[in-house]
Formats: sequence, C-alpha cells, structure tokens
Amino acid sequence: MRPAVVSTIVGKDLREFRADRFFLLITGLSLVFYPLIFWLLPSTVDETLRVGVVQRGLDRVVAAVSDGSDGLAVVELSDQATLEEALLSADADLVAGLVFPDDLVADAAAGAPAQVSLLITADVAPEVETALAALANEVALLALGEPPPTNLLSEPVVLGEDQVGDQVSLREQLRPLLAFFVLMTETFALATLVAAEVQTRTVTAVLVTPATRADFLAAKGVVGTAVAFTEAAVIMALIGGFATGAPILVVTLLLGAALVTGIGMVAGSFGRDFMTVLFTSILVMIPLMIPAFSALFPGTAAAWVQVLPTYGFVQTLVEVTTAGAGWADVSAELMLLAGWTLAAFIGGWVILGRRVATL
Amino acid sequence: MSPAVVARELSYSYGEHVAVDGISVDVAPGEILGFLGPNGAGKSTTIKMLTGQMQPDGGTVEVLGLPMRSQRTAIQQRIGVCFEEKNLYLSMSAAENLRFFARLFGIAGFDPTSLLDRVGLADRAGDRVSEYSKGMRQRLMMARTLVNQPDVLFLDEPTDGLDPVSARRIRELVRDEASRGAAVLLTTHDMMEADDLSDRVAFVNEGRILAVDTPERLKLSHGNRSLRVRLRGSDGAVGEQVVDLDDPQIAGAMSEALSSGDVLTVHSEEATLEDIFVHFAGRGLDG
Repeated sequence: MRPAVVSTIVGKDLREFRADRFFLLITGLSLVFYPLIFWLLPSTVDETLRVGVVQRGLDRVVAAVSDGSDGLAVVELSDQATLEEALLSADADLVAGLVFPDDLVADAAAGAPAQVSLLITADVAPEVETALAALANEVALLALGEPPPTNLLSEPVVLGEDQVGDQVSLREQLRPLLAFFVLMTETFALATLVAAEVQTRTVTAVLVTPATRADFLAAKGVVGTAVAFTEAAVIMALIGGFATGAPILVVTLLLGAALVTGIGMVAGSFGRDFMTVLFTSILVMIPLMIPAFSALFPGTAAAWVQVLPTYGFVQTLVEVTTAGAGWADVSAELMLLAGWTLAAFIGGWVILGRRVATL
Repeated sequence: MSPAVVARELSYSYGEHVAVDGISVDVAPGEILGFLGPNGAGKSTTIKMLTGQMQPDGGTVEVLGLPMRSQRTAIQQRIGVCFEEKNLYLSMSAAENLRFFARLFGIAGFDPTSLLDRVGLADRAGDRVSEYSKGMRQRLMMARTLVNQPDVLFLDEPTDGLDPVSARRIRELVRDEASRGAAVLLTTHDMMEADDLSDRVAFVNEGRILAVDTPERLKLSHGNRSLRVRLRGSDGAVGEQVVDLDDPQIAGAMSEALSSGDVLTVHSEEATLEDIFVHFAGRGLDG
C-alpha cells in the first residue's frame, strides 16, 4: 500500500462527492434540518407531578390539597405494595408516592409521632422530594388543625437506579439519534460511490495502473470514515454535543464512522444501481437503528439490543452527553464499539475486495 | 530485439468452462498484433492475464522482460490498457480524468492539453465526461491509455461502434504509437480493422490460437491466385472469365479476356481474413 496512491484516490473520491448533486443535497439537508429539529424540541421536561397516595380517612383533606396545588396530580392507591408497583411501571407515570399511616389522626391526637413514608422513582429531582415533604405536612395540618408530629423518612426509599437530578429532556435524548442518522446518510453516500465504481468498472481502470487493490480499498475506508466523521462532528457541534466529554465523543464518532464505512463497503459491493444500494443500505440499517431509538426511552436496554453493533456507539453518546460519563464509565461500551468496528471494517474490506477481484 | 510481451501456454477456466486453453503469443516492440476472434473466444480473458488483472491457472506472462507474477506493479507502470467498456469517471472532466490517472502513475506536473489535443478534445477539456458523445468518450479512453507513454498498449475493441471519423482518428493514434516503438496488442472482431492495422494477426477461437501470421501471407496462402473478370459481350450478355495468375501465359490470357467484351469489374480472388477464420474455426467472426 502506498500513501501517495491512496491519497490520490481519496482526492478523486472527494472530488466525486463534491460533484454529486444528490450527495450534496442530502448532506446539506442533514446539516440544516437535524440541528433545526434538535433546537426546536423542548429542552425541559413536563413538571406536572403525578403522586401516588395511600391513606385512609384523609380523602377530603388530600382532595383539598390536590385541588389547591398547580402542577400536582394525586392518584389514590389502596396499599403500599400497589403504590410501589405503580411507581415501577411506566404505564402509571408516577414520580413519587406518599404513604400515610392508617392511625395518623389518632396518634397525633395522642401526641405520638406519626411516620409518613415517601417513595420516589429513580429520576426524581431533589426539589420534588422537598415539595412532597411540604405536601405531607400540609395534609397533616389540614387533618389535625395544628402542626403534626409527623416524621418523614430522612432517607427516602428510592426505587430503581438513582438518577436524582438527571432527567433527560427529549432534545437530549434525540442527540445520539441525530448523530446516528448522519452516519447512516454517509453510509449510503459511500455505498453509492462504491457501487458506481464497481458497476461502471472504473475500478478496473485504476487497478491496471500501479495502484493495487489494497490501495483502492484503503482509499474507500479513509474517504468513508473521514466524510462520515466530519459531518457527524459538525452536526454534534451544531447541537451542542461537545459541551462535555469532547475527547470521548471524538473517539466515539471516529469509531462509529469507521463502523458505518465498513457497512457501506459491503452495501456498495452488492449494489447494482441506486435503488439496490438504497434497498441494501436500509436493510442493514434498520436493525442498527434500534439502539438509537432505545435511547429515546431511558432504562436498561434489552440484552439482544446490547449486542447490536451500534449499541456501544449510542450508549457512549448517551452516557457522556446526558450523564457526563468519563473514560472509565464508558470503557466497556467503547471496547464493544471498537470490536464491532474492526469486524465491520474487515468484513467490508474482504467482501468489496472479492467483488473487485471478480470483475 | 526481444519481444515486449511473451505469453506461454496460458490457461484459465471459469468453473467448468475453459476460457483460455494454452495460448502462447509474442508481441515485438513497434508491432501491432491483431487478436481476432468472435465474442467469447477468450480474447478479453487473455488480455486480463497479460495486464495483471487475473492470475492465469497455468502458463507464464512476461512483459518488457519482467515476470507478471512477481513484477506486476512495475509492469503496470509501463503499460496502457484501453477497455471495451467506457470506464471513465463521468462526473469529472476529461482533464480531471487524465490528471487523476497521471497521479496514479506518479507523473508530476502532468498537463493534459497536448494529449487531449491529439484526440481532438482539447476544446472540451473542462466539460464533464457525462456530456460527451460515445465517440468522444472512446477518444478520451485512448488518451487515458497514453497518459504514461506506455511501452505496451493493450487495446480491447477500441473502435467498436464508433462513427467512421472517430474510428479513423483512433486508428491513426494506434499507428503513431507503434511508430514510436510501442508494442500493441489489439483485440477486435472487426476483420477489416485487423487487416488495416495489424502487422500480424492471431486467430483466436474457443480459447486457442488457430493461426498467427501477417495478414498478407494468410490471405495469399488461403486464397486463389486468380483474377475474376466480368464482361458484357457484344450480344449484351454478362459473363465471367477467370485468369490464373500462375499461368506462364498470363499476359496473353489477360489481353484475351479484356478484349472479349466490355469490362465491368476485375477482382482478385485472394481470401479475406474472415474467409480464413471460417476455414480454421468452422464458424464466422460474428458467431
């Protein structure tokens, strides 16, 4: 492999990209619309609190408190077990729960301390915890007519992984998805370029010069990775993705770009024309998009999603951009991504190499 | 002078199908060898092996004294290949196409103007190749073949489907390159072109070379040494007389024939290359 020959082919490929109106169009649209969509999405989360309450004999009081509070929705539940189940279920959409003891009023009247339990889900902000403590006090005040000897648990029971203060807005959830879409776009562009080179047999003209097959394949790898990385990095910069963990993100985007380049080489090998390239690319990309979509629904991804090649890419972006994760936190995901990238690149190299050899 | 191309006992099979079956051929510097045969005869596969695109299943190739198996890149530095497919970069201009290939050959400061001028495309140098006609693209293919001033040219059907003006221009280029000293291996199924251009022709059929010689010797050895004279007699009837060129009394025979009526046509009875190919292969060049 000779760097001068590889760089000559790279220069030619970049010139072809620049001359390709379709490629320019989809690149331009990506650069405009992806950031536009990102910045149009809400950057805050819905602040209405749906709180589950378990109580007996306090219906009137709870209803009065609920009616008088903006942004508070009270859902009555029969017992603590039901409340916990509801908190862990996505369907109920509860962020916290209060469990009032059955004998709250009697105990208070006797001067005995009463204990109100506060149950919170993993992603509840600290201020919500404070608000719920105030709510419990208000209920007790209304029920007793005087400040109660209530005793809220000093250590609230946290259900699930603690993400207090780390709610992720829809905008931030979309960030890895956009980065992934950009890479997909570039995969398709590279696949189109490769397919055209194979179908028009310009590659055979190149390979009867001193350029070797390895030079040709290396050039395609460099072009695909460079173009995909550049555009993904530009998009990430435009959507404020580099605010935290920029070095990690650069490495992640580079690995992701190399990953989709390998896939693009495979798709281009099988493509006969624009439509077959489009079809092949989409066929490959659909399963690879699943991890990106799973980022829209926070929680632990299913095991089968975690073995998909793009999981490491998406998960690293999510953890770094939304949770400020460092190298140690994402090392497993990066290793996974690096492994898949190597496999995809070798696969693309071998398959495209064989395709070219049989022309 | 040692041959520029030496192939010995080349063979290649696509699965069960034997495409090339023991072909041996030499091409000398400055010589144009016409590789004549119908489609599927094994011409293109042979060219692919001679240019390093394919490894032969058997046999050896030497180009410019270098073995293809171990010196492929060094050989490719000094050869030019014109493909049957117009495999040009359509989104680039003619000048950009030539500059790109010049860089692959490591030619610094390449100026495509004179080369484009030779093929009559200098005034369209900056136009995208996608806007070129078929003839213009073929001329650009020839220009690309000459970018590195090759010592050996492999031309695969270089005038196929071209208008007469473009075809003539390309034939002139081929002759010029041979005059410069380049060895030329020209594959074609156009026997007129082979006859016109080639110093020698090789008949190829079913992966084998059936005969190799100069067109003239082939035609003389396989034709009739006679003249066929068509005449209109005094009664208006059209007749024919055959004059044997080996007849010791040819002058008298010729005079008698020409005076026996109004001469309509006189034709030699030498064989065409197509006749000779049919003689060897039992099939025509279009078959």
